[in-house]
Order: sequence, then structure tokens, then C-alpha cells
Amino acid sequence: MDHSIVGARIRQRRRELGVTQADLAQRIGISPSYMNLIELNKRRIAGALLRRTAHALDLPLDELDGVSERRLVETLVGLAHNPSFRKLGVEGERVNELIGRFPGWARALGALAHSEREASVRVQTLSDRLSNDPYLSETLHRMLTRIAAVRSTTEILTEYVDIPEDQRDRFNRIVHEEIRTLSDVGEAMVAYLDHTDQTDRILTPVDEVEALFNARDNRFAEIEQAARPLSPLLSDPHPVSRRQKAMALAEEHLSGAIDALIEQQAQIKTAAAGSRARRALSDYAVGAILMPMDAFTEQAVASRYDIEVLAELFSADVEAVCHRLTALPRAEAVPRFGYFRANAAGMIIEMLGLEGLSVSRYAAACPLWVLFRAQQSPEATIRQRVLFPSGERFVFVARARHTGPSGFGKPRHYVTNMVAMKEDDARHTVYDPGPSAIVEEVGPSCRLCPRTTCVHRVEDPLSE
Amino acid sequence: MAKRLLLAEDEPNIVESLSFLLGRAGFDVTVKTDGRQALDAALNDTPDLLILDVMLPEMSGYEVLRHLRADRRAEKLPVLMLTAKGQRADRKTALECGADIFMTKPFANSEIIAAVNKLAGVTAD
Repeated sequence: MDHSIVGARIRQRRRELGVTQADLAQRIGISPSYMNLIELNKRRIAGALLRRTAHALDLPLDELDGVSERRLVETLVGLAHNPSFRKLGVEGERVNELIGRFPGWARALGALAHSEREASVRVQTLSDRLSNDPYLSETLHRMLTRIAAVRSTTEILTEYVDIPEDQRDRFNRIVHEEIRTLSDVGEAMVAYLDHTDQTDRILTPVDEVEALFNARDNRFAEIEQAARPLSPLLSDPHPVSRRQKAMALAEEHLSGAIDALIEQQAQIKTAAAGSRARRALSDYAVGAILMPMDAFTEQAVASRYDIEVLAELFSADVEAVCHRLTALPRAEAVPRFGYFRANAAGMIIEMLGLEGLSVSRYAAACPLWVLFRAQQSPEATIRQRVLFPSGERFVFVARARHTGPSGFGKPRHYVTNMVAMKEDDARHTVYDPGPSAIVEEVGPSCRLCPRTTCVHRVEDPLSE
Repeated sequence: MAKRLLLAEDEPNIVESLSFLLGRAGFDVTVKTDGRQALDAALNDTPDLLILDVMLPEMSGYEVLRHLRADRRAEKLPVLMLTAKGQRADRKTALECGADIFMTKPFANSEIIAAVNKLAGVTAD
């Protein structure tokens, strides 16, 4: 939590309401001098006291505890480093000052940045769809062919006066016939586009589920709470594995809560997304039972977030541990983790994003990410220290694991799990690269990457 | 003597207009409507030039062209590739396969005649 924001925010809001420091102190049950220290950021404020203060100031807790502001800072810093604005000289280092002096403008800018990002994703999705949709491609081909026939034939009819009568009739028939076909093809295409021009058709079910996780910061307090009493049951002697037992407990006790949760979520619009969200949240619930958050947080800190150690401690697989890391509650000195899963075709099949680290599933991804290289060394944990064109540094940790049936002579298929963290956060972990590790220059995707000389580039950058 | 032109195109109405145009331009036109027949005719009938559509039944125009460029009988045959697929990647593929000229549909009659004359001129040299 950024306390310089919390103290200032309390003072600002108190003054807006015309409340004295002493009055507010009395209302929340502390001394005026302690209140003063909080406002001057010399004392930390958290827990019940923070909730009482938020209540007294009539503010949502996330506005006061700095979560909203921190998101805004991250958004604006991301905006300042956007390669498209490189030449504008955006003062990225003065984001806090902007928010402090002009909070309304800062929020408006943040909201604009979010809508711009959403619009870009939508444009990219639609653009990919236009390029790759087999129906559209085939229809456009048919239209152009018909137009070619009409154009060529009408030019002949206009330019050649000595065409024999029967041939002129044939050409006239061709024009008539082709125009009729063209009009049918055009109508069919309009109907098709009209059908696909619905917001909920633009996003795939995978996108919808990811939007849900994103909106909830990868954490579902209601599932955590419902899972808590179930975790001790895992230690009962039982003939099946802990994971199987956790799955059975989740199915028996938490499916109602999961269904109720999905029904309330605006992000889940289609039935396909509903069943996908159900699977994702059931996995979340199994993780919550296997790795109760308090114990998991404690062990994560103790092991310095070592994924393999945590997997062994909780008898969970690497993938489940990675998921759990993304759900860690926000706190000081606790790294924020993003998560990516890719298959052998290089397709990103799951993505729990990290602020400042965005990648398009639909555009040409950057092949330099270890996410796409880890399958060359299966079952090995590989760390990569990366530098983005925006100047942001991250640490990626990837591990490819075997999936599907095993057996002699059977083809081996792998998927790669990768967690990502900001380099500053990585120093709290075993993955801290230190100052001497090689820094690899990577990008978000070709379209969003300004490195024009990159030999791995396959698409032109959007900013050109 | 009229130059012999092989037209590989499966759209009958485009065949009709191109045959008329090329005939009026002084070419002796033979038409093939699938890729396999076009490849066979290009190798065995030794035309002076070829107009090759990309989207052909049996064998695509690209495939036909790759075979031609790998065969001594047709490695230098002037080829105009014609397609409704006009993306940069399609142009690149066509030129990599060995097309001399790449044109997209819809085309202006004057453009296609000028291009064919240019290719015929190349062979006359």
C-alpha cells in the first residue's frame, strides 16, 4: 500500500467534508495527534481503523486504502511508457504529482486509457477476424471475382463497337447474371456481419472468463471463505489423493456458490463462457481447499515464492501453485504475479494479466518470451529477465510440463506455465535475477513493439 | 504468327471476356480450367506465355508455378499471375514462386492487355 497516498487522501476528503482533524479522530476513536501523524503519512493505517475511517469519510474502502489510486498510477505510468507517445515527452516520473494536484483529470485520463486499451483489443480481434475468418475470406474472393467479370465485360461492351450480335447478347447476359450473384453475395455478407456485430460475439468465451478474473483481481473472497472449513478435511485418512479429495469437496460443497457467483457476473454473457467460468472457478476452489490462503501466504513468504517448493509442500501441481500466486492478497512486500499458459503451437491458452504487462492473444506474440522457448527444455524451470520497449523490466519464470497420456512410443505433448512479476517485485523471491543476469529485450507483440530492427519481427508496428 | 497464350482460369465469365480481349489483341488463346490440366498444357504444348489464376481446382496456381519453374521445359515461360487475393503476402508468394507479373482482380482490360504485351515482348527478345 502506498501510504503517501492514503494520508493525503484522508486529509483531502476530510477537508472536502469540512470536518476538523479532531472531529474525525473522535469519530474513529483515536487521538487527534495520532490522526495528524496518519495524515502526515508518519503512521500506517490499516485493518479495522482504515475501515472506520472510510466509513466516517463516506468513501469506498478501495478508494481510501490506495488500491484505486495504485491502479491509476499503474495505468498512467503504462500510458507514459506507451511507445506511441514516445515523442510527446510525457512526464512519467510526475504521475503522483498529477494525481495529487488534478485527481479528476488523472481519473479521466485513466478511464480513457482503459477504453483505448479495450478498443484496441476489440479492433485487433475484429481485424484478425477479418483476415482469418474463412467465410469472409471466401466471400470477399467471390465478390472480387464477380466484380472482375462485370468490369471486364462492361468495358468490352463499351469499347468494342463491332462485336457480333450473339456475342454481345452473351456479354449482356454475363453482366446481368454476375450483378445478380454479386447482389446475393453482398446481402449474405451483410447478414453475416450484422449477426457478428454483437458485443458478446466479438469476445470469445475465453476472453469473457479472463475479463471476470481481471475484474476480481484474480481473487474470489467468497470462494476463499467457503473453502476455509473444507481444508482441514483433507488431512483425514482417505484412500484417494489430496487433490481428488479436494475436487470431491469442491464439487459437493462449493458448486452452488460458484453457480451463484457466475450468475451475478456481467462479464459472463454466453453459455459457453458460463461453462468455461465454472471450470475455472472449480479449479480455483480446489486450489483454495488444497492451499488455504493464510497457510499458502505464509509458506510462499518463507520459501520466497519458490513454485516447486510450494507444489511439494501442498501436494499440488505447478499450474495450481501458479494460479494461487496470482490470487495472493495485495500487501506490501508481496509480489504481484501474472500467469500465462501456452501450448506447443505457441497459442496462449490462459492469461491472468499483470498491470503493465499486456499481450494480445490474437496478434503475433513476441517469440522471444521464455513462454515459447521453455518446451525446448521440458520439466526445467527457466528464468528470464526481460526489458520491454517501454523501459519496464519483468522477470518471467516458465516450466513446460508433459500433458496427455504417457507410455512408450506415444507422442509427448507439453504445455508451458509461466508466471511473470515486475523486476522490483522479483527481489522478494528466489527468482531475483540480481544485477548481473542477462537482460533480454522483448516486446508485447509485433504490432505493439517499436523495435523496428528486430530480426524476429513478422508484422509491422501499429504506431508507424 | 500469333503468339500462343495459355489461359488457366476456372471462372467461365472471366474466361469469356479474357478470351475475347486476348483474341482481339492478336493472341491464339487456349483455355484450361483446372491446375493439373494447366500444368500439363504448359509443359507439353509449349505456349509463349501463361495467364495463371491462383485459386484453381485440382492444383493451386502457386503449385502449378512451382512445378513449372522446376522443369526445364517451362522454367523461362513468362507467367502473369491473376488473383482476387491481393494481400501483400499473396503478392510475395506469387513472386517467390516465380511469377513475372502479379495482377489482382478486378483488373482494367487495358492493364491486362498491356501486361500481356509486355510479357510477349519479353519472349520476342
